[in-house]
Amino acid sequence: MAVNEKNILNRLYFIAGCMFIFGLAVVFKLLTIQFVVGDEYRALAEKRTVKDVVIPANRGNVYSVKGNLLATSIPKYDIRIDAITPSTKTFQKFLKPLSDSLAAYSGKSSSYYQKEIKKARANKNRYYLLARDIGYSDYIRLRDFPMLNLGAYKGGLIVEQTTKREHPMGGISMRTIGYEREDDDGNITRAGIDGAFGELYLRGVDGHRLKQNIGKGQWKPIVDYNQVEPKDGYDVYTTIDVNVQDIAHHALLEQLELYDAEHGCVVVMEVKTGEIRAISNLAKSPSGTYYEKRNYAVWESHEPGSTFKLATYMAALEDKVVDTSTVIDTGNGVKTFYGKRVRDSRHGGYGKISVGRAFEVSSNIAIASILDDAYAKNPMKFINRLKQWGLNTKLDVSIIGEGDPVIYEPGDKDWSRNALPSMAYGYNLRLTPLQMLTFYNAVANDGEMVKPRFIKQVKELDKEIKVFEKEVRREKICSDATLGAVQAMLKNTVEKGTGRKLYSKYFSMAGKTGTAQTEYWMKGWKENPRYVSSFAGYFPAENPKYSCIVVIHKPSTKKGYYGADVSGPVFKKIARKIFTDTPIIDEIESLEVNNASVEEEFQDYYKIANTYKTIMPNVVGLPAMDAIALCENLGLKVKIEGVGVVTSQSIPKGQKVKKNQTIVLAV
Amino acid sequence: MKENTSNINLKRFFSNLKGDRLIWAIAALLAIFSFLPVYSAASNLAYVGGNTNTFSFLVKHFMHLFLGFSLMYLMHKVPYRYFRGLSMVMMPLAFVLLVVTIMQGTTIEGANASRWIRIPFVGMSFQTSTFASVVLMVYVARYMSKMKDKVISFKESILPLWLPVFLLLALILPSNFSTTAILFVMVAMLVFLGGYPIRYLIAMLGLGVVGLVMFVLVAKAFPDAMPNRVDTWMSRVENFSNGEDTEADYQIEKAKIAIASGGIKGLGPGKSMQKNFLPQSSSDFIFAIIVEEYGLIGGFFLIIMYMWLLFRIVIVAQKADTIFGKLLVLGVGLPIVFQAMINMAVAVELFPVTGQTLPLISSGGTSIWMTCLAIGIILSVSAKREEIKEQEVREDNPLEILSEAI
Repeated sequence: MAVNEKNILNRLYFIAGCMFIFGLAVVFKLLTIQFVVGDEYRALAEKRTVKDVVIPANRGNVYSVKGNLLATSIPKYDIRIDAITPSTKTFQKFLKPLSDSLAAYSGKSSSYYQKEIKKARANKNRYYLLARDIGYSDYIRLRDFPMLNLGAYKGGLIVEQTTKREHPMGGISMRTIGYEREDDDGNITRAGIDGAFGELYLRGVDGHRLKQNIGKGQWKPIVDYNQVEPKDGYDVYTTIDVNVQDIAHHALLEQLELYDAEHGCVVVMEVKTGEIRAISNLAKSPSGTYYEKRNYAVWESHEPGSTFKLATYMAALEDKVVDTSTVIDTGNGVKTFYGKRVRDSRHGGYGKISVGRAFEVSSNIAIASILDDAYAKNPMKFINRLKQWGLNTKLDVSIIGEGDPVIYEPGDKDWSRNALPSMAYGYNLRLTPLQMLTFYNAVANDGEMVKPRFIKQVKELDKEIKVFEKEVRREKICSDATLGAVQAMLKNTVEKGTGRKLYSKYFSMAGKTGTAQTEYWMKGWKENPRYVSSFAGYFPAENPKYSCIVVIHKPSTKKGYYGADVSGPVFKKIARKIFTDTPIIDEIESLEVNNASVEEEFQDYYKIANTYKTIMPNVVGLPAMDAIALCENLGLKVKIEGVGVVTSQSIPKGQKVKKNQTIVLAV
Repeated sequence: MKENTSNINLKRFFSNLKGDRLIWAIAALLAIFSFLPVYSAASNLAYVGGNTNTFSFLVKHFMHLFLGFSLMYLMHKVPYRYFRGLSMVMMPLAFVLLVVTIMQGTTIEGANASRWIRIPFVGMSFQTSTFASVVLMVYVARYMSKMKDKVISFKESILPLWLPVFLLLALILPSNFSTTAILFVMVAMLVFLGGYPIRYLIAMLGLGVVGLVMFVLVAKAFPDAMPNRVDTWMSRVENFSNGEDTEADYQIEKAKIAIASGGIKGLGPGKSMQKNFLPQSSSDFIFAIIVEEYGLIGGFFLIIMYMWLLFRIVIVAQKADTIFGKLLVLGVGLPIVFQAMINMAVAVELFPVTGQTLPLISSGGTSIWMTCLAIGIILSVSAKREEIKEQEVREDNPLEILSEAI
């Protein structure tokens, strides 16, 4: 077949046409990508190349009332090495110096590090851990080690910063200072003050910054400012006093250890303001040591026992059912109410005693009889008293997880005829230690019931964001007469009642002991009795400054279980420490003392010096410095030879001198 | 005065340029434009390579283009009839170079990727298959023109035509399937243009496919004996043919993101973001980067340029005075446009991922030089036509020549 030009050209047009169509197809595809699926890919571009990086806000600090740090966030660093990145030359040159430095830092041997890092390089480990959770100064130190000081790209240094919440006081009051922790499922645990005020004040607002991927896993900020600036959290100033807290913590700990108790708590509250100065909650760990496990003072509502008698006596006195001098027959120490026996702690009973004395010795029979006689027909009258004092409602303290108080009343499932006499000595109802303390504090505060507070103010640096004022729950819980009566009874309890072992003539206290059976409904209680020992009160007895409650659960009965023995000493220790730590103020007006004879001699001398201004005095025997001053005051020019005491003078004593005359002093 | 002399120099320079002036212009425009995307892509290359200097990439690209255009100039001065004989000489050389390349046994991640040989002393590497392609096309053009007056029998054509073709393709295939396939298509196109009977052509195409299947089977059966890239091709073709835009299809996705981000006007020179993620941003996927930075306007500009080049090649072929001239122009010219189309088609996902560069735009010495060599040959053919015209007109009037552009 011959080929001619026409033939080629026809075939060429066909081929060129095909190519042109191919070109059109490319154009069509191009337009499709741009306009049909363009949005999808543009969104993908954004997703793949731009990310929103959260800049965490610095969490605020928690301070004590005097400004001591209780909780703060500090940066911690993990130092790792990418064992692949350093060049062979660098690696060989610096491996030994690096290992030496690491050995000096950690105490492990240099050869250990050499072996491990070599192994990491052989295993292509790009993330070998050198140090975890180290502080800033250690980080600076490690950063300057050989090889690591070459940086990320040449030395393989990897630094990861995390923020850790630190408690400078350690385990003390940890539960009350608290924390805010988020687990992997996003559930947040909020304990104590840190938890309660985390969201509102401490946390701050996280910042945001858009970053663009520039390949190799590196991201660069798109613009030089943050899209949202992080706003640091506010500082929270608590009412906790570090000194009181320290005393309370150690006093409680000592007693818990002594009595081998299961757990216990102590709260110290300022009477006038309701500010909590100390709160300590300790529980025994399986290994036998004590630690802040739960906030028992706020959370654990339990049958208080005899400490509750303050409320029952107050109700009876306020309703004028009895007065302190009314005589009650407590019999031989056992009395049956509706088939249930009530016992007093003294074998054989107290016989006939006054109401005041019954309180002091904590007679169960006395108060049970009073209540039963007075309120059996109308229990609500008594219950309403308790309600009036707010004992059936929560305090709504800021710390999350306050326990519910329980006061039964007629009509409730758990109400019976026996309920009233049991309530008289603190059973058949439940209160948390803090709720009990609030009531005692009201008595100490002459009837004004203030709400316990943990937080004083919120600050941003020096600027006050919010100040928390005293909150009054009840203006006046009862008449002054009743108050005076119960205050006297509380004072007498320490002086000559169940708390007499605590009595000290150096400082005064007022309070009530409590020893309650717990878990008595369980089987085998008789063989293994369990008690809750408590002591609630305030000090000093007159013009009280602090109220305090100590509750210790399940002390070892072999060692003792009475409130006065177990909890009382904690109370006393705190009261004594605060008493001795409070300085006595005495003023001295001036440190300058006028001495009459010195003053007189000075005046004489001054007179002579002014009168005999032109007559040369005797300066022999004077120190050179004094002699010069004397002579120059006369207008003489002084030449001095030597150092020390003047031995001779060129112008003799008594001679007239002129101004600018020269005198030579031999020294 | 000075300006005058420089003007005169410029005139003298342009008068030295023979052949189709518009092809010169297209080549120059493409070359000048190429600096923009190459320099833009350089920032990422420098960053990834741990090199702090992006300017060196620009200088290197300039050197490649300068050498390429020098080659183009030299080639267009050579009367094209010499290429007939030259192809006979160069064929054995191409074989030797390909064998040497394969013997080097360069591998990329265990797969045979022997595409380059290093030029001694100069320190540049050179992709021998590209050179062999040009030589083969000239050789085929020579054969087809020789046979123009004869009736071609299948048997007769095997030894002088298909044997060299298949031998050469077999040498390229292990390292570069896409180049082999494109070259085979181009050879088929050229023999079709040269009047080769279509039924024989279909038979040869069938043979080619059978040969490829054989190769794949052998490679699969003895994977250790022959380190090969069969798996790479298979996965690429599979990725393309299953139609889904899977996560694995990383490069194509990035290319499409780049194109979509460009919009009509583009992000602006150097503002491409995807160049940081697209592996071959300065060669294989340069079209995507161009569309990202210069938008549809830039993309259309390139397509129009290549279409225009196609148009000029057709014109030059039409005007060529001999059959050899026509086939020569088409044999070396159409692959340029075809390759450009393939490159763009890959970026827009019209075609599976191949390693084809964008002629005259992509960085890379071999691609630029061989494109320039091919354009030089085309210009040489059109220069011959000019010479004949000049002899006829006997006037030094460039306008006359321009007027005969179409």
